[in-house]
Amino acid sequence: MSNSTYRPCLSPHHSLARRQFVGDLCAGGAAVASGISLFSHPAGAAQLAAHGRSVVVIFLGGGISQFESWDPKTHLETGGPFKSIPTSVPGIHISELLPHTATRMHQMALVRSISTDLDDHGLATNIIRCGRTTRTATEYPELGAAVARGLERTDFPLPGHIRTMPEGIGRRNNNSAYLGPQYASVSVGAEKGGIVNTQLPDGMTVETDSRRQDWRRFVNKRHRQKVQTAEMDAWTQSYEQALRLMERRELFDISREPSEIQTAYGSSPFAKQLLLARRLVEQEVPYIEVSHDGWDFHHNNFEFHLHYVADIDRPFAHFLTDLTERGLLQRTLVIVMTEFGRTPGINAGYGRDHYPKAWSMAMAGCGIQHGAVIGKTDEKGAEVIDRKVDHRHLFHTFLQAVGIDSTGQFEIAGRHFPIADPAFGPIQELLA
Amino acid sequence: MTITLEPAPEFDPLAARQTQDWQHDAHLLCCGVDPSGRFVVAGGIDHCIQRWEIASGTKTTLTGHTNWVRTIGFSPDGATLWSGAYDGQWITWDLTARTPQPVRQRQAHQGWLRGLAVSTDGQQIATCGNDGLVRIWNAADGQLIHELSGHTSIPYCVHFVPESSELVSGDICGAIHHWRTTDGQLLRKLDASEIHNLIGDLAPFGGIISLAFSPDRKRLTATGLHKTSNAPAGNRRAVALSFDWASGEKLPKQESIKKELDSTMWRAQYHNEGTLLGIVEKEVGFWKPGEVDAFHLIATPSDIFDLDLHPNQLDLYTAHFDGHVRCHHLAAD
Repeated sequence: MSNSTYRPCLSPHHSLARRQFVGDLCAGGAAVASGISLFSHPAGAAQLAAHGRSVVVIFLGGGISQFESWDPKTHLETGGPFKSIPTSVPGIHISELLPHTATRMHQMALVRSISTDLDDHGLATNIIRCGRTTRTATEYPELGAAVARGLERTDFPLPGHIRTMPEGIGRRNNNSAYLGPQYASVSVGAEKGGIVNTQLPDGMTVETDSRRQDWRRFVNKRHRQKVQTAEMDAWTQSYEQALRLMERRELFDISREPSEIQTAYGSSPFAKQLLLARRLVEQEVPYIEVSHDGWDFHHNNFEFHLHYVADIDRPFAHFLTDLTERGLLQRTLVIVMTEFGRTPGINAGYGRDHYPKAWSMAMAGCGIQHGAVIGKTDEKGAEVIDRKVDHRHLFHTFLQAVGIDSTGQFEIAGRHFPIADPAFGPIQELLA
Repeated sequence: MTITLEPAPEFDPLAARQTQDWQHDAHLLCCGVDPSGRFVVAGGIDHCIQRWEIASGTKTTLTGHTNWVRTIGFSPDGATLWSGAYDGQWITWDLTARTPQPVRQRQAHQGWLRGLAVSTDGQQIATCGNDGLVRIWNAADGQLIHELSGHTSIPYCVHFVPESSELVSGDICGAIHHWRTTDGQLLRKLDASEIHNLIGDLAPFGGIISLAFSPDRKRLTATGLHKTSNAPAGNRRAVALSFDWASGEKLPKQESIKKELDSTMWRAQYHNEGTLLGIVEKEVGFWKPGEVDAFHLIATPSDIFDLDLHPNQLDLYTAHFDGHVRCHHLAAD
């Protein structure tokens, strides 16, 4: 049994006061003013057509077992004690732990042939998020930043890269690399009304606040006539974005949903995050990430999967149903992501250890072939025997599924950066 | 002519030595010695049951389950075996047959069947499973007698109160229910939730994994784990939590203190003279009544998932992750 100690890959517990939130936005604004241009690749029309699309990543941090989810091997002793069940697509079976998800398989696709080479949580998370083989967390922008940049619209009032968490107010994270902090994720809680600490202080009326904001703009404008710097412009822009966000704080308040909708999603923190994600998809936020952590079951793998998979199954299936009924799934790519799989063997603690060599991921929604299963693992689930892909192929695929030309480049202050690893391409047969 | 009688060997864990080692090729989850002392039986993740004749070491494989075999029980005469598995079924076997075949089987629970026990008189069997239910069955014909609902989490194990018409069941959140088997009435609840944790606010970890009564029936002992620091990594300590059976008062927990091991006490059993035997990872611990720390540990090469004493009270059989069933003789002879 591995002696590794679980280290959460994502910490949902960061929270910042409004002042720091604004400050972080200001830092982000600096990059805007520093000269990021449109895509340098002549794919502008396609990018424009993609506007309105969203990507929702459900990140199962720690490493969900492919055997107890997307690639069951029930004929093996080491396949575990869970059966496989048929899905809405004839011939595709998944774990019995996902009965609700099984009914939505006709809107989904599975990739069962992912093979990467890093079994450290942090490093593996980094490569799967960035689509590059790198050991440096800030070297390349994460998928969320690339999508936020790729699907960016002028005057869009909300952040383009949002991570949900159970509760609290968000912060800008450091995950956009050279794209600049304005494309870094903003974390927002799904509980307690979403964005907290954004109400006016007691005793301050809207009129008073409006006057002080007008005064700030006046002073800024007067100062700008004398001194103009990119940093100052960034600060100015960040204040305005923060104000726009505050004006739309109700979008983050899932308690505004009808009670029957809230009931249908469920009361778990994960379900509430999915409901928040749906509200943000309605607003055409380019990238939303919902996290569900703790899947690192070196011990007691089967008992834990019994409960953990049940916790995601019904809300996830309902999320797809809700998006479908609202006409949103046709413009939304949903990815169930994790950083690596689990070992085919069972250790003495009835756990499974890290296994990047052969694992799976699921997708749903726009831009992909519904009902597709890409690749295959061997009988024991130990090796990929058909259509081996890795994080670089997936990154291209995710972007192209929402209409972003992943073979293009970002032009930033005169320098060109390939959007995705130019030595790789998408999983073409998976794209619709 | 003087005839000298050999004194009967005395139970002495400090003199323990391994006397038998039988190997199977799948991880084992449960084991037991039939009350006649003829066979030792073990169930594993290969969906099979292995029967070894103790005298000869002859192994026979019993097939019939379609998932991990998690629990077994015997009739008082040792002639009948009941097995329970994660396929939700129990199966009755004629244990004395040359190659036992399923005599009777029932789909007892939706999802895993986790616990099975046979009443002292052999008239009833009890089971529990992932559907949250405890069920009592007529051992003779397999008919359902009572369905006991009330656990708010998954019941993990069942145990008949010796020489009575009562049953206890323990669940994964640490609740122990005390039932009357004649009418299915819940008599009382005992709280052992301190040997359970909730991981990620959604997954119970630990709970009542096994139950045992002291020979004088004055103590009910629940076993499992506590002191969890990192559950997904397996950082926890094996523990036995006993209750005064008459009053329901909790007694001091028993664990391995001098030698700390990441472990779950998958099973504990009382020796007739009152010593508690419990699994501590690859070791078996021995506790005197009322003493918190084990006075002795015997080491084995592989993680232990079940144990059972031979009716002679001197031979201890253990089922291991490495597929072995090992026997330790607990006396100096």
